[in-house]
Amino acid sequence: MRPTGIIFFPAFDWAISPTHPEREERLLYTRDQIFEEGLLDLPGIKEFSPRLATFLDVARVHFCVPHVRDQVRDAHLIAAGACLVLADCIMSGEVRNAFALVRPPGHHAMRVVHGNRGFCNINNEAITIEYLRRRYGVGRIAVVDSDVHHGDGTQDIFYHDPDVLCISFHQDGRTLYPGTGFTNELGGPGAYLRTINIPLPPGTTDAGLHYVLDNLVLPILRDFEPELIINSAGQDNHYTDPLANMCVTARGYADLTAKLRPHLAVLEGGYAIESALPYVNMAILLALAGYDYSHVREPGYRPGMLRESPEVAAQIRRVVEELRELWENRHRVDPEAIFGKDRFYERQKFVYYDTDDIREFQLERVRRCPDCPGYLTVASSARHPGGRHYHICGISIPVRACEECYGEGYATFEAARRTGDYTHVYLQDKATDVFRAYDTETRELLDWEG
Amino acid sequence: MEIGIDVGGTFTDAVLLEDGYVRAVAKVPTGEDPLEPMLAALDTVLAGVPPERVGRVVLSTTLITNLIAHRKYDPVALVLIPGPGLPFDHYRINPATYIVSGAMDYRGREIEPLNEDEVRAAARDIAARGYRQVAVVGKFSPRNAAHELRAAAILKETVPELHVELGHLVTSQLNFPRRILTAFLTCATRQRYATFARAVAEGLRRRGLTARAFVLKADGGTLPLEAAARYPVETVFSGPAASTLGVQALLPPGETAVVLDAGGTTTDLALILSGTPLVASRGLKVEDQFTQVRGLAVKSVPVGGDSVLERIGRELVVYSDRVDRPYCLGGSRPTPTDALRVLGHTEIGDPGRAYEAMALLATDSQSPEEVAGEVLLMVTEIIAGEIEAMFREWQEEPAYRVWEVLQRRTRKRPNLLVGVGGAAGLAPLVAQHLGARALVPPYAAVANAIGAAVARTTLMISLHVDTARGRYVVAEEGYQGELEDPRHFGEHSAVQLATAWLRKRAAALGAGDEVDGVEILRQDVFNIVREWRTVGRLFDLVVQTPRGILTHVKGVNS
Ligand SMILES: [Zn+2]
Ligand SMILES: [Zn+2]
Repeated sequence: MRPTGIIFFPAFDWAISPTHPEREERLLYTRDQIFEEGLLDLPGIKEFSPRLATFLDVARVHFCVPHVRDQVRDAHLIAAGACLVLADCIMSGEVRNAFALVRPPGHHAMRVVHGNRGFCNINNEAITIEYLRRRYGVGRIAVVDSDVHHGDGTQDIFYHDPDVLCISFHQDGRTLYPGTGFTNELGGPGAYLRTINIPLPPGTTDAGLHYVLDNLVLPILRDFEPELIINSAGQDNHYTDPLANMCVTARGYADLTAKLRPHLAVLEGGYAIESALPYVNMAILLALAGYDYSHVREPGYRPGMLRESPEVAAQIRRVVEELRELWENRHRVDPEAIFGKDRFYERQKFVYYDTDDIREFQLERVRRCPDCPGYLTVASSARHPGGRHYHICGISIPVRACEECYGEGYATFEAARRTGDYTHVYLQDKATDVFRAYDTETRELLDWEG
Repeated sequence: MEIGIDVGGTFTDAVLLEDGYVRAVAKVPTGEDPLEPMLAALDTVLAGVPPERVGRVVLSTTLITNLIAHRKYDPVALVLIPGPGLPFDHYRINPATYIVSGAMDYRGREIEPLNEDEVRAAARDIAARGYRQVAVVGKFSPRNAAHELRAAAILKETVPELHVELGHLVTSQLNFPRRILTAFLTCATRQRYATFARAVAEGLRRRGLTARAFVLKADGGTLPLEAAARYPVETVFSGPAASTLGVQALLPPGETAVVLDAGGTTTDLALILSGTPLVASRGLKVEDQFTQVRGLAVKSVPVGGDSVLERIGRELVVYSDRVDRPYCLGGSRPTPTDALRVLGHTEIGDPGRAYEAMALLATDSQSPEEVAGEVLLMVTEIIAGEIEAMFREWQEEPAYRVWEVLQRRTRKRPNLLVGVGGAAGLAPLVAQHLGARALVPPYAAVANAIGAAVARTTLMISLHVDTARGRYVVAEEGYQGELEDPRHFGEHSAVQLATAWLRKRAAALGAGDEVDGVEILRQDVFNIVREWRTVGRLFDLVVQTPRGILTHVKGVNS
């Protein structure tokens, strides 16, 4: 049997700030547990070493304002690079699946990056997905986000992408950051029902989580038939997490992993660094590698101590029911009834960057193309902590763009450069792997090619 | 004067050094008995030397490696305290394994008390089954050894004649399965080692030697011969360490090189980086099992000068598990040494027989020279491939910090290859293959003994401080103490505390005067934060006596 690959990158010398939850100590006790248990010596587990993702890998996903180098530190490139190393190992068949036990996390990072939000700068999963498509031509990919917070960054990046299914279950956005991820967020006109959000009430236990998994997530995955499954393996659903109010155990997480069978699990949040992370990480790793995890137990845990209230259980059933019906009727949906007939679909967004206190206003426009997912334009304004205002425009051409969208995308880029309305204009051409960043003030044009 | 002796699988080598000059060398065949060749080699280099002028004798021996390989060790019972985690089956490495309840966590807090009745029951059963050696190992015992200590006390109370070894005293690093195995092997070999050490000491005494005697460890450091009875397993694989140190001594200080020690049965590869041998990032693998023994990063290729060659059809085959004396030295099978002889890369053996050996392998109209070329190309490719793999492993060592990942990217491959050992003649061929420079220094055949002679005592202390809990642990000493002033305990205090314990440890092992400085091997500090407030700090410190050698060999121009 091929082993499970792991990259453990705790970034012991990197923190957002000394007492921030995303700090050096976060994976210290996880290290102690994994080392003491000797997990990296097990024949079914193979450790790999990270590399640095390149600016190109980042630019394939994000419009970093003003430039990649301004938003990205070495630690981010290593965390993302670790996922890429493991992606290579999965594709070469050297491992059967893999766990990127790395920090800093990434699932709150959206397409446009003005700063750090929800502890994230760049989206490790999205960078991996674009890399997999470019390097290996992978078609359909599913992301299942099991962090307690809505995976809003990943959702934003793939909202109009019919080839990437984003499923996120999380504590209800009315009770927790980032306040989104409701059942009516289902994807844009070209990718309707490629985004599924399952808001769960506070107090959801292993039982509730597995009800969702068995009755909604797994059936949807069976229907979608992805070539690869990526799990955003946040661990803040744990009953001891200080930032959320859920009641999931290490065992619950391991069972989830065993059922989901992701090709790649990527650590996201989880801030009960002593009472949860050492045990949840160990259990997930054992589950991936097919070892018996039934003896992994949090200190102080007693069977039966976490009970789900009948109201919580009923609420979960209602959400599952609602989404299941939508999913089962997906072929009967008339997009025009929902999105109208306009040539472009537009949505406005306000994005708040909690770590850096940045307020961003966005207008996103995607071409409704019968032949491809359509090129996308995003105009975004924000004032950065240094005081400078940025008004940027980014054009994104999808991997399988049709000739018309490809041409129009480039034309839009050239036009935006000339208007003078924007401080920076970006082009993201995923079809031929070309990326450009134009600074209107200096008239400097940066150009990368894959 | 210093004497170094390396008892290898085929030969036992010895040298006598005086002020850095090689004054005498000896090479005698190794037989069944580990003591006899050692004393014979000693007598050779001692000839005509007043024994009282010798200040230091360092011995590198395969004794423990062989005991483990042939499982010629004492029966051991294991008493384990794993607590939650992996299923217990992972730990039953031995017919007599007793699992008792109790658990600690990573900060040394008790999760579950030790079940003393279970320990008592185990003790009675162990005695009934006739075991005398017991290893007690608890998960996270380096963080809190209370359960191990209590279990040992109960075992001794119940069966006073038991000898009990404790996991946390054997190794301070976190890795429970490796700690179990290392404690097990320590228990299994300690008595035989002690017997051997006494015999060596007696042999030295009878020769009028008053020199201090040391034994070489896998990491290239020494321990006082008799004190090493507490850590016999540390002496495994000291042979490659000896050769590596020998090359270090034969090169100018600060040199970077690949060491190729081509022996009869294996070729050992090691790295010297800016004058210091590279230490393996994890404990050594002994007989295919992971231990926590610290050693040099040595790659052993199972091909050497005495490996048997055969022609099967058109295929030329070199056996990694079959060895014979080279044909040119009276053996019955062709070997790489014969090929080296034919092409003039070595002077040993009878050239006529070497030609005959190559003729035995020839196909069609191949000349002996052509066969020899084919043989050496094959062997060279095998070794060069392993050197490449060793470079890659070094460049991809685990890195858990940003700076480590960045630093690793700047690692440049050495371009000097130094050949020592019996088949050092392979070195220029391998170097050519790799596009590197080759060097076979003078005394290459006894570099291992030189390495033993110049090795210094290495000791290490791992200090773990938890100021939130007001406690510290010195793992190697099994000491758990309270901090006097946890609120004002800083990095400086941590270094001072670790240094004091290192000196104390050296004195206890009878090597106090060997410690003339301290090197910080690891220094980690973590804030312990509760709800955005720092409530304490964790210090992880590893300090050691400086690595290095007593002297570089003089009178060699390399
Ligand atoms: Zn989260
Ligand atoms: Zn199109």
